Amino acid sequence: MGQNSSENQYSIQGYVKDKNNDPIKGANINISSTKHTFDVQSGKDGKYFQAGLTPGVYIIEINTGSYLEHHQIVLSNKNLEKNFIIDESKNALDEVLLKFTSVKSEIEKKGFAVNVIETEDASLRNIQTNELLNRTVGIKVRQNGGLGSSVDYNINGLSGNAVRIFIDGIPISTYGSSFDLNSLSPALIERIEVYKGVVPGHLSDDALGGAINVVLKKDTNNHLNASLSYGSFNTTQANFNGIYNAENSNFFFKASGFYNYSDNDYEVWGKFVRNILPNGRYDYVRAKRFNDAFESYGAVTELGFTDLKWADKISIGYNRSDLYNEIQHGAFMSIPYKGRFTEAAANVFNLNYTKTDIVKGLDANLTGIYSQRERVINDTVRWNYNWYGERSLDMDGDPILRPNGAQQGQPTIETIDRDIYTFRGGLKYEVLEGQNILFNHMYTDIDRTQDDIMRSGLERNFMERRYLTKNISSFTYEGSFFDEKLKPTVFTKFYQQRIKKIDPVVERQNGSDVIVFDEFSRSISETGYGGAISYLLSPAIVILGSAEKAIRLPSEGETFGAPGENVVGNSDLNPERSDNFNLGFKLGPYKYLKHQISISANGFLRDTKDKLVRQTQTNLNDAVQTAPFENLGRTESIGFDAELNYMFDNNLNVLVNVSKFDTRFANRLDSNGNVLSIYDIQIPNEPFFTANANVRYSLKNIFQKNSLMNFYYNLSFVDSFYNIWVPRERRGIEEFEVPQQYVQDAGVSYAFPNIKLVASLDVKNIFDRQAYDNFAVQKPGRSFFLKLNYTITNF
Amino acid sequence: MKRNFIKLFSGLAIVGFSALTVSCSDDDTPGDQGENPNPPSETERWFTVAGGIMDETPGNGNGGTVIYSVSKEDIEDPNHEIRLFENGYQVRSQRTARLQASEDGSTMFNIAYGGDSGGEFSKYLVEGGDEFVPTGGVVNISQYAGTAPRWVKLFDGDQTGVAMNVTSPQVTTDDDGNYLYTRGTATAITIDLQDALISNNNDFEVPLSEEEEAQGFHIFRLDTPVLNEAGDKIIIGTWMRKTDPSTGENDTNDFERLGSKAIVLDYPSLENPQVITSTLGHGDTSGYRSFNSFLAEDGNIYQATQRDPNGSYILRINSDNEYDNSYDFSLDSALGVQGAYVESWRYVGNNIAYVMYRHDGSAPSNFNDGGSSQSFLARVDLSAMTAENVDLPYDADMYFQQYQGFAVYEGNVYVSISSVGQDGHVYIIDAETGEATEGAQLINEPGNHFVGVF
Repeated sequence: MGQNSSENQYSIQGYVKDKNNDPIKGANINISSTKHTFDVQSGKDGKYFQAGLTPGVYIIEINTGSYLEHHQIVLSNKNLEKNFIIDESKNALDEVLLKFTSVKSEIEKKGFAVNVIETEDASLRNIQTNELLNRTVGIKVRQNGGLGSSVDYNINGLSGNAVRIFIDGIPISTYGSSFDLNSLSPALIERIEVYKGVVPGHLSDDALGGAINVVLKKDTNNHLNASLSYGSFNTTQANFNGIYNAENSNFFFKASGFYNYSDNDYEVWGKFVRNILPNGRYDYVRAKRFNDAFESYGAVTELGFTDLKWADKISIGYNRSDLYNEIQHGAFMSIPYKGRFTEAAANVFNLNYTKTDIVKGLDANLTGIYSQRERVINDTVRWNYNWYGERSLDMDGDPILRPNGAQQGQPTIETIDRDIYTFRGGLKYEVLEGQNILFNHMYTDIDRTQDDIMRSGLERNFMERRYLTKNISSFTYEGSFFDEKLKPTVFTKFYQQRIKKIDPVVERQNGSDVIVFDEFSRSISETGYGGAISYLLSPAIVILGSAEKAIRLPSEGETFGAPGENVVGNSDLNPERSDNFNLGFKLGPYKYLKHQISISANGFLRDTKDKLVRQTQTNLNDAVQTAPFENLGRTESIGFDAELNYMFDNNLNVLVNVSKFDTRFANRLDSNGNVLSIYDIQIPNEPFFTANANVRYSLKNIFQKNSLMNFYYNLSFVDSFYNIWVPRERRGIEEFEVPQQYVQDAGVSYAFPNIKLVASLDVKNIFDRQAYDNFAVQKPGRSFFLKLNYTITNF
Repeated sequence: MKRNFIKLFSGLAIVGFSALTVSCSDDDTPGDQGENPNPPSETERWFTVAGGIMDETPGNGNGGTVIYSVSKEDIEDPNHEIRLFENGYQVRSQRTARLQASEDGSTMFNIAYGGDSGGEFSKYLVEGGDEFVPTGGVVNISQYAGTAPRWVKLFDGDQTGVAMNVTSPQVTTDDDGNYLYTRGTATAITIDLQDALISNNNDFEVPLSEEEEAQGFHIFRLDTPVLNEAGDKIIIGTWMRKTDPSTGENDTNDFERLGSKAIVLDYPSLENPQVITSTLGHGDTSGYRSFNSFLAEDGNIYQATQRDPNGSYILRINSDNEYDNSYDFSLDSALGVQGAYVESWRYVGNNIAYVMYRHDGSAPSNFNDGGSSQSFLARVDLSAMTAENVDLPYDADMYFQQYQGFAVYEGNVYVSISSVGQDGHVYIIDAETGEATEGAQLINEPGNHFVGVF
């Protein structure tokens, strides 16, 4: 090899021998990843050698002419030696099984209904993490607009607060609203795990319907990577990340930064895009969104030591992020806003410690985080605007006041400050080989204050203070039996939440008014449990089952209210509960000649009770337009998702997935025991049938030798659904239908031979079709993005 | 589940993208399997029955509104079944629509309440069954009145509708932070029902007296305008709230209410707002989902109160547009109940009105966790100041909070009477005598309820 080992490129070498230990000469060995492919032949001593490989997952194909064998290997940060003993009598050139060893398959075969998304490919393209998730089977990402617009994740029919997002096991909410999945360049992400319905104990949070865990890259080799993307709507995304390791010491320093900007001034049209004339008539227009700009930036730094005697890793970190986001409209597109925006900032300090084998078999990790967050909603513009961004005029030519005084509600410049302390710890003990016991705990403490400078000084003196403390502990047992064929996991989780409210009130004491503080506190606790099991039926058939009695505690917003969103607090809320079941299988991959195919499918059931829903008002005396949440709903989701992956000769990769989830109203009877008309009816505003098809085709040595060109194509389909309950089809309901959607994207990327530079071009929504979110909000039409990704490994 | 997998595999076998478009909904065409496949094409008057669909709570009507029209012959036939929820037409409104009808029943007017179409006024020609033909285009009043607007028709021969709005009242203090007043800005618009257009608009602040404002009182909502006899003023009902002057927050304590108030506005200019105050009633005068004030042949306007500490009153506003405080009509006294509360009512002529009300002694309904209670329908004589319940099959789950429609035709009043989730009947009430006759059967569905006949 003889090269500078700091160059972050490694080699694979070894020999190929037959079962009699005789070297096999001239075997063709193909080593390929999604980025590169290399061909070598074994020499007369059976030896082979390939250098210049970056860390990652590779498939090695050994072909002797009469014999074909595949291995999947993980190249981490050192040179690898891999020897192959071939029993030609056992395998003819025919249907061959590919044995898994990747992290992806390890996780996917633990029994949980989980999809692992590898981001290596996406990191080189103009793909948001959210888009990647949206293409994953069983997940629907509802995003009501362009870059930076609000995002909601639906996993197998459960959405909103039921789905939790983690970064390396820490809830993303800790990092503030200014830090979302868009802030994480796919280049920083090792993989994304999507747990459906049943969430393992080590992700200790109250995730009722599933969890998305983003696992960041852990490599500690010196490198600097930067990418810049620019495209339609002035969309700019820049990222850098770098790691420095001191020579001859265990010190490391990591830094990354992100900058996102978009005008989001894409064109919208259709039945909601109309200017209202003074007399109330419509003038349908095609218009560009004019109050939708988004900007976010931030930095993540970490420094510490690795491989100390008493710590595998100890580090401190600091994150800072800022966000500015204009809001073009409310839940529906029908009324354009001008001048409503939010700003957010967060300062996050953290401390991490990990150590394996404290005593033999005992591993520990600890994380402590202090996060200081601030968020402002600003909405003070008093007038109505049309889709051209001009003031709407009344019959006399004067501007029209908004019905509530500002764009969305009453005028507000509302600041919410939160101080959040999070502590997370985990212990893992290997009792016997393959038998682990895990304990995890997470403690969260939120101290929230708010102010609204648009309110009178009097009202502002009476702003409340709110505290929320949450403790979640879990115990897990992971086993492995019959040669790792049977892998059971069982866990139990304890949830505890305590809230405290302090409200200043006026009390008359000794004839004068004094301000006193009303205090209220309440605790709730719950226990949940679950388990997962996988059974390897034959080398390529795994059956997976999992179940959980899942809990979600009332969130801070539901408990304390969110004045900016007209939510009134309700401190008497109880947790939501859901019984979640999954049963599925994974087949393959099977290989026949150059074809490779794998199939997986999962069926699920979610029975959700005490669902927190926004209260509806029926009583005449409720004079308010704001409403609290209440424990009311019951829904049942039944469905399945399935995925098929086909590869040909490592050049063509086709992924097709379908997902059908029926989320139905499950309160059956009215107070008189009659079956309600909407019982077992699909809930409104949720798509229930989606499909994706994704094709990648690779070409080697185009323009330059050792270059790699990839072509991509994606089709996503969402079936039509309704914005109202439809117990039966009757005349008039067509007004409430969100039509079927087909959106096609395409892209091409080119990796230059030195691998340092990758350029890619993406066209999204090629045919400029109307695509909508759940409330018929139109998403961007045809758009173009160009991205350059540059990596330096030599410093 | 197993079946799904089989379905899945047969689907995957095809793989072709076209297979992905196969939706699982059936292709039944709406309606038409019911009673009335060929609605009669002619009748002397169409009657439109309306109902509210439940959202997540039975009886809340937040799931939308359905209408269905039948002939005079059918609505009066006790053997005729009206399967509204099965065969009806879904009106453009995400939540309960605010419906009004032309006097002859041939046209329905609707303003959608909430959701993406909130504030859209539409007009339908009634042609029997679920045939409602949109006519005259769509008019959107949301810029003036919000996406959940309150409106009524004036009794001017189907010429005009009026919608009102008040912006969220804001607290104002002096430089030292002492409370001064709470006010919102009111908007009034008129809709030309014939041409389906907004014909006028105006906005204004409505200050109360300095003393009233210092105590925190303010107008929170305006609704249910009515045209006076001279046709030069509209009288608008008010919903009052009170700020606690020591905290600036909405006062949720018990406080002494002011006399009932209404706003008098020049018509058709919608200018010159004046506040008038009753000394008899102390409740609000804004009604709920339909009319709350009526002009009678005697030139007086009669207005009901809600949330009145002594039970609802019927107040009289004379032709000088002032409360007539010599007209003292307490429904508690007339009905012999405590805490009468007018939910919906309708003047039918000759000083006779029909009033839907509940009272403190009403049986709590099984629905809404007892938050709703039984209602009654009374024939009220405005000149004799007497009231008497109409003989109907009352039930604890029969409440008229959301009731909107009383069709008045040839001396009869047509009402839809059923409990939440239960079948019921249209009743034809002789306006003069109060005698009720059973009309067509109303076939209900659990969770839903009927909100009127138009």
